[in-house]
Amino acid sequence: MSSRTREIWKPVAPAETGSGRREFLRRTRAIVWKDLLIEVRTKQSFTAMAFFAALVLFIFSFAMGADVRLLQATGGGLVWIGIAFTGILSLSRTYQSEELAGGLEGLRLLPGEQRAIYVGKLLGNLALLLTLELFLFPTAAILFQLELWRVALPLAGVALLGTLGFSIIGTFYAALAVHVRARELMLPLLLFPALVPVLLGAVNATTLILTGDPDGAMSSWIRLLVAFDVIFFVVCTWIFPLVLEE
Amino acid sequence: MNSPNLAVSLRGISRRFGWFWALRDVDLDVPPGTSLLLAGPNGAGKTTLLRILAGVLAPSRGEGRLAGAGLNDNDGIRRRSALLTTRGYLYDELTALENLRFVSLMCGSDTSPATSAGILDRVGLASVADRRVGAFSSGMRKRLALGALLMRPVPVVMMDEPFASLDDHGRALVDDIVEEMLAAGQTVFLASHQIGDSLRLIGRVAFIDRGRLAFTCAADELSERRYAYFEDRE
Repeated sequence: MSSRTREIWKPVAPAETGSGRREFLRRTRAIVWKDLLIEVRTKQSFTAMAFFAALVLFIFSFAMGADVRLLQATGGGLVWIGIAFTGILSLSRTYQSEELAGGLEGLRLLPGEQRAIYVGKLLGNLALLLTLELFLFPTAAILFQLELWRVALPLAGVALLGTLGFSIIGTFYAALAVHVRARELMLPLLLFPALVPVLLGAVNATTLILTGDPDGAMSSWIRLLVAFDVIFFVVCTWIFPLVLEE
Repeated sequence: MNSPNLAVSLRGISRRFGWFWALRDVDLDVPPGTSLLLAGPNGAGKTTLLRILAGVLAPSRGEGRLAGAGLNDNDGIRRRSALLTTRGYLYDELTALENLRFVSLMCGSDTSPATSAGILDRVGLASVADRRVGAFSSGMRKRLALGALLMRPVPVVMMDEPFASLDDHGRALVDDIVEEMLAAGQTVFLASHQIGDSLRLIGRVAFIDRGRLAFTCAADELSERRYAYFEDRE
């Protein structure tokens, strides 16, 4: 037996291709790199999301009129409606590149920790949504006469926690819905009930940041968001391989 | 009992899709470093068997081992096998080089650009390394999928319809690559319904018909055995 033959027939254990954490990080990085590169080149998701988000905010702005106090009181909720609606557009395209390439089986054929695929897809969605919010919040500030720059830091924290929770659940449900025929219909139907806690926390925390928090209720909403993110990240990451396998 | 010294050993492998049995009670032993042609008409169950061997489809019944890994150990099987499919699983918006880089990052194989460039040169795509795959012809896509297969030195390599879409040079390339794999001790499965294309490379043939393993024979006995089989069947 030649040395090359021996090399090929050597049993390949996970440890030999970069055990545990290293393999996980390498595969996660590969998914994020590939997805963002495709998005940068096609701009399909971002263009659709930005257009839709702007449309939602403009319509709400026209509907609410010029009552500044009303706009400020409802501004937080309106922004999160925009994020939720446009987020669905992004999530429904989470596995689009795989479907165009022939299906999720292509990813399953590549050996290694499958949870890295979920985390990579999640980070890609998170990056896309956070980039959208960089455009969404200033637009809302102009339309709803919100003084966001004064509360930029806490608002960024709430936006990050809320968007993370949205992406955690959304990326998981998008994988569940890949094989469903009426996916565009089924994904929101499945997703929104599961998103109630994170939307509740994000809307209330944002509103308290914008209107003031005399009763100190903010911390309980932040705790809800953190708990939601941690629990669902662990659960979704853990059971993702069951969703990916046929 | 499955022998640990065989590249592939299957006992009673069956797969059902709903009420339809795509494979039924397939027993097969393949020694390491040999080649096997899975022959049979369209819909016979060749691709289903390859997908089970690649660890992406679980058998409904039966047991087996591939290069020492049990068929229920999906990740173990995937680390020991590679499958060239008719779909290719290539990303249109990435270049040929980037597609190979993605495969190498996902699998932990050599990620150096020199290795990827060398493989693209091997499959005749060096001049279009930086071109997006969306602009490739079906033959070029097949060559790139073949290149992705070469990124991973694994004990068992499987190719589903490897000659489809390829021109004469492409078919000769597949022949050369299979010969190199066999020389390196890899076990090669080819699935094709165009038997004439593959026969030169093949040691043995497993003929599958309507989900059942009809017979196995040496490559040069295939015509005779196939004729006799269909005579008996009718």
